[in-house]
Amino acid sequence: MADKIGVFICTGYGIAEALDIDALRKVATDEYKVPFCKLVDSCEGADLEAIVENIRSEGLTKVVIAGISPRCYSASAFPGSVIVEKVALREHVVWCQPAGHEDTQMLAEDYLRMYIAKVQKMELPEPFHPEEMIDKSILVVGGGIAGMTAALGAAKAGYSVQLVEKTDRLGGWLARQHKSVPRKPPYVELEDTGVDDLIGQVEGNPRINVHTSATTSRIAGAPGLFDVTLESTGNGRPAGDVLDTFRVGAVVQATGWRATDPRDTLPYGKLKDVIRNVDLEEMVKEQGRITRPSDGKDVKSIAFIQCGGSRKKEHHSYCSSICCLTSLKQAVYLRRSDDEAKAYIFYEFMRTPGQYEDFYRSVQADPGVFLTRGEVTEVTRDGDGKLVVTARNTMPGEQIHVKVDLVVLAAGMQPNSADGEAIRALEDARVVVTAGESETQRKEAAEKVARLKRHEGTAILNLTYRQGPDLPTLQYGFPDSHFICFPFETRRTGIYAAGCVRQPMDGLGSMEDGAGAALKAIQCVEMISRGEAVHPRAGDTSYPDFLLQRCTQCKRCTEECPFGVLNEDEKGTPLLWATRCRRCGICLGACPERIVSFKDYSVSIVGAMIKAVHVPDEDEEKPRVLAFLCENDALPALDLAGQHRLRYNPFVRVIPVRCLGSVASNWVVEAMSAGYDGVIMIGCKYGDDYQCHFIKGSELAATRSENIGEKLEQMAMESERVELHQLDISEYDRLPKIFDDFMEVIEEHGMNPFKGM
Amino acid sequence: MAKGDKTVETADRTSREKQEAGALVSPPAALADSRDGQPGWIDPDMDFIRVLSRQSGDSLKKCIQCGTCSAICELSPDPKPFPRKEMAWAVWGMKDRLLKDPDVWLCHQCNDCSTRCPRGARPGDVLAAIRQQSVARYAVPRFLARWANEPYCVPLLLGIPIALLTVVLYIGNSLGVPQPSRERIIFPFCNKLPHWLLNVSFAVVGILVLAAVVAGAMRFWRAMMIADGRDGAALPAKSPPARIVAALKIAVPVLWSIIAHDDFAKCTKTRLRFYSHLSVLFGFLALSLVAVWVVTAKVNPLIPDGLIYPFGFWHPWKLLANLGGVAILAGCLWMVVDRVRDNEHSGAFSDWTLIVTLLAVVVTGFIAEILHFVRLEPHRHVAYFTHLVFVLTLLMYLPYSKLAHIVYRTTALIYAEYSGRNGKNTARTAGREEES
Repeated sequence: MADKIGVFICTGYGIAEALDIDALRKVATDEYKVPFCKLVDSCEGADLEAIVENIRSEGLTKVVIAGISPRCYSASAFPGSVIVEKVALREHVVWCQPAGHEDTQMLAEDYLRMYIAKVQKMELPEPFHPEEMIDKSILVVGGGIAGMTAALGAAKAGYSVQLVEKTDRLGGWLARQHKSVPRKPPYVELEDTGVDDLIGQVEGNPRINVHTSATTSRIAGAPGLFDVTLESTGNGRPAGDVLDTFRVGAVVQATGWRATDPRDTLPYGKLKDVIRNVDLEEMVKEQGRITRPSDGKDVKSIAFIQCGGSRKKEHHSYCSSICCLTSLKQAVYLRRSDDEAKAYIFYEFMRTPGQYEDFYRSVQADPGVFLTRGEVTEVTRDGDGKLVVTARNTMPGEQIHVKVDLVVLAAGMQPNSADGEAIRALEDARVVVTAGESETQRKEAAEKVARLKRHEGTAILNLTYRQGPDLPTLQYGFPDSHFICFPFETRRTGIYAAGCVRQPMDGLGSMEDGAGAALKAIQCVEMISRGEAVHPRAGDTSYPDFLLQRCTQCKRCTEECPFGVLNEDEKGTPLLWATRCRRCGICLGACPERIVSFKDYSVSIVGAMIKAVHVPDEDEEKPRVLAFLCENDALPALDLAGQHRLRYNPFVRVIPVRCLGSVASNWVVEAMSAGYDGVIMIGCKYGDDYQCHFIKGSELAATRSENIGEKLEQMAMESERVELHQLDISEYDRLPKIFDDFMEVIEEHGMNPFKGM
Repeated sequence: MAKGDKTVETADRTSREKQEAGALVSPPAALADSRDGQPGWIDPDMDFIRVLSRQSGDSLKKCIQCGTCSAICELSPDPKPFPRKEMAWAVWGMKDRLLKDPDVWLCHQCNDCSTRCPRGARPGDVLAAIRQQSVARYAVPRFLARWANEPYCVPLLLGIPIALLTVVLYIGNSLGVPQPSRERIIFPFCNKLPHWLLNVSFAVVGILVLAAVVAGAMRFWRAMMIADGRDGAALPAKSPPARIVAALKIAVPVLWSIIAHDDFAKCTKTRLRFYSHLSVLFGFLALSLVAVWVVTAKVNPLIPDGLIYPFGFWHPWKLLANLGGVAILAGCLWMVVDRVRDNEHSGAFSDWTLIVTLLAVVVTGFIAEILHFVRLEPHRHVAYFTHLVFVLTLLMYLPYSKLAHIVYRTTALIYAEYSGRNGKNTARTAGREEES
């Protein structure tokens, strides 16, 4: 079917007052000779319905609506069979430029040109459907409270679940607790953990298949097509025996945590009566009372030392979140056993978030519980066998000593995770050690092996991903994701982290997490079964196409993809697993051969937009700057700048991009050849506290822009003509200054010498 | 630290504990809350915490050491401000430390801190409870102070003065003590009781009370001194006479400031407290003066022979006494209103016993006076007897009840000035001058 392009120009919102609508119309009808062009009064309500009606009656296949920001339309406003692009004349032109000005008119006309050129090149995406059926069952790894809750939630929603537990019984840490902290009003009485009931529900659910004493020895494939192999841990069946193989659609990793050894400055392991909170819990669970390990006598006083394994730079610098509550709970165990018993709690910060505050208050009111902030400097054994705890900067004194029967240290919480990327790096380094080309290369590889050796054999999921067998992690071993904005998400599509492996949390939090991750997994299998992308481009039906005939096996795409979408064959040719893809286009930005394209987003589509802009001659003294703005933060920020009527330079032409990481360096070169005077890229913040929705996009763009600078210098142009900025959405007020400052840089260097060539 | 040292220290501690438990008048050295004479060893006294908690409305343990109380207190000095540190010590059951702390007496319980405490820990009430414990520690004999704080001891406490008066009446009656005809007969049913016998009885009780008060104040003073010395603060003057002189030099302005209610005026929560306490204090002083004047009429060289008792209504002494009675009545009623209006905490037991006793003294006094003027027999005698019972109650329990604050607060205020606690450092400077 031949394309029929239609253009709608909105005259409402003050657009007609600010612009010469006739001239704008002529751009569409005369310059681009679009077969259909109509003026509309607004882009909402009845006018929007009329537009849709026009699209139908005229048989339009590609439409440009020049009016309000694309963010102002609902997703279902237009028929899915039509390509509709929206030009934000209101936000990006009228609201931020003086009405009736020549430059304002030029800006509006250029935007219209860019989007008509864009739709000319665009094609309607077709949803991806693999040859095999998408499997909708869910694998839950870990049978603790988070895993069990995830399994139950998914099963109740009608999905079949495979639950894998390493040990011989379900329950995890919860099953090892004597009592639980209060979880219901008035939040003062210790409760039974309720773990048996939960295990009963899980084991009794016909949709849940429980595998205990098992680990995932292999997970091959991609979301909807994960092929799982289970291996025996040696409990019952010989270790390594294959127990089962099956296919699932998505995975919830709820592998929980393990207690770390307290910091070296405390005499854990040196004095017998210095134990960890997890040891005390187990003791009470087993024997129902607290005794001294050294002589077995009943304990009458305990000093709890908080942050024994956390919140110290040289140890774990994060808070393990549950130790304060655990110590308060264990203080109650002691006090229940003897009304004259004394429990001292030394803390740095007492953290009892939410309703747990009430529990804290109730324990605080107990005359036998002594709480103080302070730093424990020493624990020694006294002549009579008791322990003396010395602390400084406490509330009752500069330096105090208390004598106790037992010292309990709050152990830190370490996620049961594996660093997939490190494991892969270790394997790669091993190969280089034996097959390295030069001596230095082999030596460097050997050093790397030594550094990464601790990751050997730590794999949990055993994914067959090119980038490694497990989820990429952050600095403390928690799976990498934007955990504030997007909990449960990881850098592997279809695999969701829940519970303490994601971040330190209590039982209630783990239950919430389990339910949340189960919902995410369900969402994933449903969306990929429709050929749609999941978060953050949820619903996107485009996917990357690789023109492999031209691939040079440089491996940039397979290495740079933040989500491990691409595997490799022996030669290094990328193998696409489309259901793993998040559609960010970072592969597009990575490919030097420009072989990656989406139907609606490609090198040539953006190239056409670049070329569509009318670049005035040098003597007109109207420079042109091309701005690539990330759709996630920078583009909404530009809308906000318009809403706040901030004025900025009229010579800037903005092109939205999926992610700064998807900016092809070729575009910059093209722009400079076309006579633009500079290119500016604005994306999300990167680094440790990155805000990039695609994890690495803006950071990769920053690295690449250095190469682009070199390229410009080869073209005899200043590398300063390319700038990269980090912006979050709340910093919209910085945009005018970013543009103005860049204009000054351009002025300094003068107009692009390639202009008009 | 060597192992041997510790054994010695433990032995020291045990002997000291024995001393403290056994001795009625324990040496101040025994008041250390340290294991071995060094500060910082804490073994919380849980009974003490429970007592403080109970007496302060179960609020004590709510303290989170935020320091709001110290920040807003108008009376708290800048270095080592109270009551934050006292709250921490109280929560940790550091009894000895608290009972040697003059700061708890610098507080006038305006309860600014209690109303502003974000956790409802009521530091003002906790300090009041500590003061009561302080009185119990230093009072001579101690058991009376213990009784004075127990609600179930009220019948016993009232029974003692009733018994005492009855015994005096009985003795007066049965001994047939010669009685000058001019002497007024107090009770028709025991018409032989001479008024002088009554005066002598009250004077004897008064002297005993005075002795108890002086002993208590001295124990308190010594405890504070030792605590200060141990804390490393240099003591102002060396020789005992020099110390007494220095203390007296300070005492006069301190007493004047107490009379003028300077500290009370600084409390911002309510002016009512200032006026009510001022009123009660002046009423009390007026009545005490009249009482001493009358009781000592026969032996006091200052009093002319012409003093004829009883006075007429318009006699200056009678007018002063009546005014004093009215002042106490009005002040106490104000205090009652204040406590009733405070929804959170309406005063401790010791607080109420003092107010009720004072009210009982003046109310029965006025009733007896009215009945006397209308000559209603025998009611006026019954009323007078009741009045005497309450006067004796007030007097004999002065060193043990809340009224003991007259003694301990004055002592602490003088000590605070003397030791330079308020930053003025008068005595310390004076002491150095003497040395040089």
